[in-house]
Amino acid sequence: MRAILVLTGFAALAGSAAGAFAGPAATAPGGRVVGTVKVTEYDGTQAEAVDVIVYVVGFNEPPGDDVTTVAQKGRKFVPDLVAITANERVSFPNFDPFLHNVFSQSSARKFDLGSYPRGDAKDKQFPLTGVVDVYCNIHPEMAATILVLPNRRHVRTDATGRFVLEGVPPGDWTVFAYARRATKPASAKVSVSPSTETTVTLALVRGAEPAHLNKYGEKYHDGKVYP
Amino acid sequence: MRIVLAFLVVVCVLPRTARAGRSFYGWLYGTEVLPERGVELQTWILEANDKYGSNAKETSIWWGPLIGVTDQLELALPIELEWVSSDADKTFFTFRRFGIEARYRLASQDPADASAFVPLVRVAAKRDVTVRDDVRLEGDLVASYELGPVHALVDLGFASDLRPHTRHSEVRPGGGLSFRVADGFRLGAEVYSEVSFDSRGASWAAVGPNMAWTHGRFWLSGAMGIGVYHVKLAPRVMWGIAF
Repeated sequence: MRAILVLTGFAALAGSAAGAFAGPAATAPGGRVVGTVKVTEYDGTQAEAVDVIVYVVGFNEPPGDDVTTVAQKGRKFVPDLVAITANERVSFPNFDPFLHNVFSQSSARKFDLGSYPRGDAKDKQFPLTGVVDVYCNIHPEMAATILVLPNRRHVRTDATGRFVLEGVPPGDWTVFAYARRATKPASAKVSVSPSTETTVTLALVRGAEPAHLNKYGEKYHDGKVYP
Repeated sequence: MRIVLAFLVVVCVLPRTARAGRSFYGWLYGTEVLPERGVELQTWILEANDKYGSNAKETSIWWGPLIGVTDQLELALPIELEWVSSDADKTFFTFRRFGIEARYRLASQDPADASAFVPLVRVAAKRDVTVRDDVRLEGDLVASYELGPVHALVDLGFASDLRPHTRHSEVRPGGGLSFRVADGFRLGAEVYSEVSFDSRGASWAAVGPNMAWTHGRFWLSGAMGIGVYHVKLAPRVMWGIAF
């Protein structure tokens, strides 16, 4: 259900090739999109807007030169949510004194890095836009999400939920906010003009961590479906 | 027909996971290898009936663990059992060989990173338990090409028994096609042959349909080789389970 909702929110993204989006490439300086994301838990209580990614969809840009890192540390992925531009690479170093086996069965990018020890790192390129859920085949409590986006206009909110998206090209776009465990992405239409500032407010609802299986599509060794 | 349709419905509905280390063919080596530190137990059962135009019948069992050394190199430690019946000899069943083999995929293990064309090299050395001074060397040059649901593969193998004074060598060319008819289920056809270079051996060839099925950590493939030269039937089935 979560996957369906996320993919609905990513309607323009899911399963699409990076070059398949209509619209011009961003040319700086563009406009600014600023705003706030409010997060509530599923029971209605207010939550901190930490680890929320805000991004714009509707145009393409080539990836930057950065290599994003998702570390395996303390039986967790750190960070557990990253946003990258299509065709960027993500490195997965292991800092734990035991093996991890990072894998994904998401349709946007299936991979299996095998098991490797502390000090080793493997990386993967992500050519297709979409949501990639990443897990460890040995430690079921480990989960991360990689948002593969069509452009570089994506930021992480600060602790108060505020964000600033710089250099957004003029035009009519959709702004999304997404967090892990979000029941669905929040979105708003924006109309961006050169050298102007557009303000939006987005509201996310966090649910439970979705259940997942191991890389063989089975329950984990203790028979549980995690979490 | 109903059983076939029911089976197809079942394999379409069951959850499926793509994974490495399997072959889509019966007699041919695949080009997929295990991920690093992956382990798989693999079993083959193969038959050759009325081989060399005689009543010779053979059934062999290959069993062994496979270990993913790197994302492109896997090792196998097989043992081979053999049952043979012929006009001239008594029927016997014996532990025939053991050894080690390496399979090196000359492309990324990740299908998304690799090109559609994937080559693989296999080399093996085996000790013959029944002929104490024999060492068998085997090798394969395998190349596969995948285009949508179609998978094509060519396998050029050789085997040579290095015995003092009496050497025997043969090439084992084969090729096949496999079509994905449902997620995790494939059908196709293949040809396989063993062509001897000396008078001690004999040559044979078979062609027939094949199938492959993957379900979670388990995969199964097989071919029903129908003899076209010096053999009547040559079925072979392989399966593996990963850990």
